[in-house]
Parts: sequence; structure tokens; C-alpha cells
Amino acid sequence: MIAEEPRLDPGRVTELAQSLETELARLIVGQKALVRDTVITLIAGGHMLLEGVPGLGKTVLVRSLGQALKLTFARIQFTPDLMPADIVGTNIIREERGRREFQYQAGPLFANLVLADEVNRATPKTQSALLEAMQERTVTVGTETRALPVPFFVLATQNPIELEGTYPLPEAQLDRFFFKSLVPFPSEEELLEIARRTTGRATPQLKAVADDKAILAAQEVAREVPIAEHVLAYAGKLIMATHPQRTELETVRRYVRFGASPRGLQALVLAGKVRALLEGRYNVAFDDLVAVAHPALRHRVFLQFEAEADDVTADQLIDEVVEKTDKAKAAG
Amino acid sequence: MSSLDGVVSELRWSAVRSSALSYLLHAVLAAAAWILAVVIAARFFPLEHAPRFEAIGVPIAFVAVAVAWIAVRPGSMKLMRTADVRLGLKERLSTAWERRGQDGPMDAVLRQDALEKAARTRLAAAYPVGLRPGEVWLTLAVAVAAVGLVLLPNPMDQLLAQRRDDRAAQAQAAETVAAAQKKIAAASPAAQVDPQIQKILQDARARIASAPDPRAALQNITPAEQKLLQLSDPQTPARASTAQNLANNLSATNGGRAASQALNASPSQGARAIRDLASQLQNLSPQDRAQLAQALATAAQQAKDPEMAASLQQASSALASGDVSAAATSMDALAGQLDSLQQQESNDQQIAAAINGLEAARQQLASQADRDAAGAGASASPSAGAGGSAGSGAGGSGNGTGNGTGSGNGSGTGNGGGGSGGTGGQGSSGSGAGQGTGAQSTERVYVPAAPIPGQSENDPAPLAPGQDVPLTPYDQVIQAYEQVALDAADQSLIPGSERDLVRSYFSSLGEQGGGR
Repeated sequence: MIAEEPRLDPGRVTELAQSLETELARLIVGQKALVRDTVITLIAGGHMLLEGVPGLGKTVLVRSLGQALKLTFARIQFTPDLMPADIVGTNIIREERGRREFQYQAGPLFANLVLADEVNRATPKTQSALLEAMQERTVTVGTETRALPVPFFVLATQNPIELEGTYPLPEAQLDRFFFKSLVPFPSEEELLEIARRTTGRATPQLKAVADDKAILAAQEVAREVPIAEHVLAYAGKLIMATHPQRTELETVRRYVRFGASPRGLQALVLAGKVRALLEGRYNVAFDDLVAVAHPALRHRVFLQFEAEADDVTADQLIDEVVEKTDKAKAAG
Repeated sequence: MSSLDGVVSELRWSAVRSSALSYLLHAVLAAAAWILAVVIAARFFPLEHAPRFEAIGVPIAFVAVAVAWIAVRPGSMKLMRTADVRLGLKERLSTAWERRGQDGPMDAVLRQDALEKAARTRLAAAYPVGLRPGEVWLTLAVAVAAVGLVLLPNPMDQLLAQRRDDRAAQAQAAETVAAAQKKIAAASPAAQVDPQIQKILQDARARIASAPDPRAALQNITPAEQKLLQLSDPQTPARASTAQNLANNLSATNGGRAASQALNASPSQGARAIRDLASQLQNLSPQDRAQLAQALATAAQQAKDPEMAASLQQASSALASGDVSAAATSMDALAGQLDSLQQQESNDQQIAAAINGLEAARQQLASQADRDAAGAGASASPSAGAGGSAGSGAGGSGNGTGNGTGSGNGSGTGNGGGGSGGTGGQGSSGSGAGQGTGAQSTERVYVPAAPIPGQSENDPAPLAPGQDVPLTPYDQVIQAYEQVALDAADQSLIPGSERDLVRSYFSSLGEQGGGR
């Protein structure tokens, strides 16, 4: 068998990720878990849903990412009157040398990094347009389908408060997001550091540590990280344990309406692979799966009303699933 | 670390080293638990071979644990996984081992990374050598409990000893019956040995040997004796009496004197002599024939057996009428009846020998059954021995023996004459012997200070100087003995016929004593 050489040295991926995290940390105070989740999603080739109140640095994060990776960046503020054409682009009539013809004008989706701010404020029609683009990485205007630039990374945000007048994303669309990360409010110390960095005369400028090609290469390398069968089996057990009909956990049976989908398993394993690389390893460990379980599964575990009534969150259930799923037993 | 195989080898050796001590402790625990279980069971149930069970369990426990140790040896993948978890190697070893045959883009760097991490780690730490304190304490506790219970006396030992004695007594009784069988077979020609007697003895022997206890074994003896008694012909005494009367009558005749002597010797010789006499009737003188006819007629009148009486009467009548041929025919028939008597007597002797054998076995079993009932185990409790009963005889002499268990001695004297026998001595053990001397029927008989059963037996009151030996009237002694004997007979498993013998014996003594 002829060995298939990776396009990028696995060690370089680790360096790239670490340097990216270091560069982002120059501008973003704290939020290490968020930055790590963002990097993992980027290298895994997925999209990310951020949930947090306004003003926590979500936009800064995406913009900084664009700067650090020399990628194009676009921000779309989702509102109820936002139409699909506003994001995917539209054909407009142009007059050129006396001739009028339709010419396609690309929308803001045609960027490497797209920040879909407050995505739950747009109508389902517009949300669907965005989510189709996320899944297919193409947009269709009229009869013509156009490919989006690669890498294509959507970072959507939604506000957990002020839910009036919003259109919550349906389960099927939530499943399209690779990760759902929560943006925590910074600590007091971090708040002070934010103030110090952003209220001075100059804001730190990030330097590019990689380009689109490096990102694409890293994405390919990540998929080649091996995972042992018993570790994969553990990932499968985690997914199965989120299903009320197939789990032995009483809380899951009681509070969960639907468990994680196969996409959840894909996200778990792929995120585990990326995390292994970021940790300087060339194999997926149980710890990798445990570390990415929350962002990979929290938006894929759909709760009963009873959970809301009892103030039980998906994260709590995932904690229990992880705690109660025996690694050795899962591995057989 | 040169290769993943090397890692596996080192881990395997570490696992073997680690588990060996643990499994050894488990083997000791299993053995101790087994011994403890057997010892505890032996305190609730009478286990015959508890030490053997304990001894057998120990190697079995060790072998079982050894087999388990070998059977559950971890495979290479298991070793690698365990090492990953215990050494914090983040599944490097197991992933590299799983993909050891793969040649993917990352497999080489994965193996290198795994080997580097393994080299920097003490792999033996994945399988530490040591024992869990809880298991050690448990093993110690079980072992101490087992040893303690082994050393403490077991209340079941007494029961087991009794069972052993029971079996020994049953085996001895069975041997006694077997000896009676052999004796019968040896005493009689093979053709004359009654197979039914042998069968009855054989069955009784088997039942005695297989009975659960001596008391149950005893219950097989009486039915056997009854079967044996059913084999005897009730006419035998009448025929023997008839033959004896015939011999007496013939002794006074010229022609029948030889036949008389032969009849006195045995019925079979008598039969031959009668046949000879029948064949020589022609040669006898008329006076001798008449004399012979008279003797035969007298014998016929005295005969208690109807068949023999008829033969004798026919022979006598034929001789008296001069019909020698008919007389010879009748005498041949008489000879045949004598042959039959000989066979019956032989049979009765075999039956008697068989019953004697069974009685001997009964005594052995009864003795053990009494010990069992008394709960005295193997040691016999002192008890009063039955006094020997003196025999009675017309010759005025009698003797008797008495057997007892325990300690003590007995003595007795018997007075014979007038048909009364002496009484045996009574003692708490041993034997009593009676001697009979002739006495007049009108004489009042006393026995010297023979203690009456139920009264003080071992310590007769000392005599004052000059005081004569105190005497007890004979009839009181006999009455007392009769009561004891009848009580004993009623309480023992003896055939009714034997019980009647005892009763008739004392009745006859009473009748004779009434004349004193």
C-alpha cells in the first residue's frame, strides 16, 4: 500500500491553530473556550451558532478571525424584513453600451467568514436561504447556481433574551450548525482588561498567521486523524444515550424529546479529531470527545417542556450522559 | 521502546506479575472459604468425611483460580487500552496498536508519537503489584474463622461416632449371618442344603447391612425367623416320637433288635434297617413274626404321626395274617417315611442353625441399638445382666448361663430333680452359671441371697459375724425372674414362638414349684 501523504504536516496544523489562538487572544480577552470552539469549527469545516447577549465580542471575534487568516469577512444583521435576496444577492438591470441586461450582484454571503447576527430575528424564509447556503455551500439565484468562496464559515448569533418577535430556528436547521457555543459574560478581571485594550489610543492590529489554503489543508489533515474503534464506539454510546427510547438514564427519558442526530456523531468525531490535533496528538482520545460534547450536542438534544419547567438544560443532561457512559463498557 | 510489540510484551509481563499475587490471594480466599463452608456444614449436618472434603476443596480452589487466571488474561488490545487509561496516554497506544498494520497518512507519526510517550512512561505502573487491603483482611478473617472452627470440637462428632458404631454393628451382624450360612453349607451335603434357607439368610444379611440403623436392621430379623420357621414341618416331632417308640418296641423283639439300634442311631439308618427287615421277613420264624407284629402294633398305637401309624398298623396286620409280602410293602413305606423324617430333621437342624445365627445377629444389633437409645455412644452403660436360667432335666441336673453387660459378676445355683431346674445368677455383667443338684419334690428350696431383680444388685448387705447366709424362698425368686424375663421378652424383638417358650418354661417351673 502506498502511503498517502497529507498535504500539510500534522504538526503544522497544531502550530497553525495555536498561533491562531494566540493571535486572537491579543484582541479577545478571555473567552478561551469560545476561541477554541471557533478554531475547531473552522478547521472542521463547519458553521457555528453563538448564543450570548449583545456586546460580548462576537463580531470582534469573527472580524479578528478574518484578519488573522487573511480571509474576507461579511456581517449580516438579521432583521424581520431581511429578504433572502438581501443575503444571497440578486440580478439587477444594468445598462451598458446601450444594452440593458440582468447582472448578478453577489450578496454578503459571498465571503469566507460571515457573521449572521441575530439570525433568529429573520423570517424563516431568509433563515432557510442562509441555512441552504451553509449546507450546500452554493446559492441559487434565478436559474443559476453559484458556489460560495472556500473556506466558507458562518458564525451565527442569537440572543437568549428578547425573544419577542423572533423566529426560533427549527430543529432541522439547528442541526446544520457544527457547534453551538455559549458566550459567557466575562469575569471582572477580563472586563477590566477589555477596557484597557479597547479604550486606549490604538487598538491592537492582528497579523495574518495563515491563509485560505492553509485552512483548507488543515481541514483535510483533520479528517485523517485516526480514531480507534473503542473510542468511536464511545462516541456512538454518547449519541445513543441522548435518545430517550434507547438510553438507560432516567433523566434523559424524562426530559428529552429527541436525541442527537447522526450529524451529531459526525460533529463529535470530527471535532474530536481537530481537538486532538490542537492538543498535539495524532489520535482521538476519550477526552477529546468529552471536551467537544457540549458544543457538538447541546443544540441537537431537544428537550421536553418538562425540562423547561424543571429548569433542566441540555448541558446538564449532556453532563450526565458523559458521566454515566462508561468508557470501558462502551468500548466493549 | 523499540516497537509496539515490545510495549505489549512489557505490559503483558506487568499484568501477569500484578495479577498473579492477586489471584493467589483469591485462591487462598477460595480455599479458606471452602474449608469454612465445609466446617460450618459439618456442624449442622453429620458429614462423614469432612476433613477429606476440606482437603479436596483446597487444590480444586487453586486449580479453578489458576484456570480463571489463565482464561481471563487480557489480550494485547486490552493491555494497551488499560495502559492508556491508567497511564494517561490518551488512547495513543490502543489506537497505534489497532492501526499497527495500517499505512495511512498519519499512522507512522501516530506510532512514533505513541512509542515516544511509552518510552517516557514507566509501563509497569499500568499494572501495579499489590493487594487490596479489603481482600487481604477478608482472606485473613475467613482463614482465621476456618481454622478456629476446625480446632473447636464439633457436636456432630458424637453422632458420627455413633453412626460408625452402628455400621460396624450392622456389618458384624451381617457377618454373623454370613457365618451361619457358611456353617449350614459346611455341615450338610450340598444336595441337602435348603436353598430357601440360604435365600432367607442372604436376604436378611443384605437388609441388615443396608438398613439405616441397627433398630431398623433388627426389624428384618423377626420376619426372617418367621419365614424359617414356616419351612419346618410341624409333624417332625410326632414322627420322631413315633420312630423312638418304634425303636423301643423293636428292641424287645428278636428280629427287630438290629433295626431298633439303627433307629436309635438315626432315622436314615433305621430306614435301611427296616428295609432289610422287610426283605428278611420270609426268613423269620412264625414266633418272631408274631413278636414283630405285636411290636409294630404297639408302636402303631403309640404313634402320633397318622401316616406312620397307618404304615405300622398295616405292617402289623399283614404280619399277623401271614401276608409277608404286604407286610414288606408296608415296612418299605415306613422306611420311606423314616427317610423323610431324616430329611426333615436335617432341615430343622439347618433352620435351627439359621435362627441361631439370626439371634446372634439380633443380640449384636440390639446391643448397639440400646447404646444408641441411651445416647452413650460406644461405651456401654452398666446394666443388670440377665440371670442365667438353669436348665431342667429329668436327670436332676441342670445348668444355665447368663450374659450381661457392664461390670459386676453373678453367680447362681440351680436345683434339679423332680423336673425343676436351677436358677441362674444375676449380676450386673458377665455370666452367671447355675448348677443343679437333685432334690426331693417335697423339699422347700432356698437360694442363697440371690438378689431379686430390681433390688440392689451390686452391693449385697454385709453379713454380721456369725450371721448365716440369708435365704430367699425359691418360688419368690422364680416369680421375680419370670416377671423380668417376660417383661424383657415383651419388650424385645423376638418371635412370638420364642416368647411362648419363655412363658411355658416358667409355667412349667411354676407347676413344679407348686409341689414344693
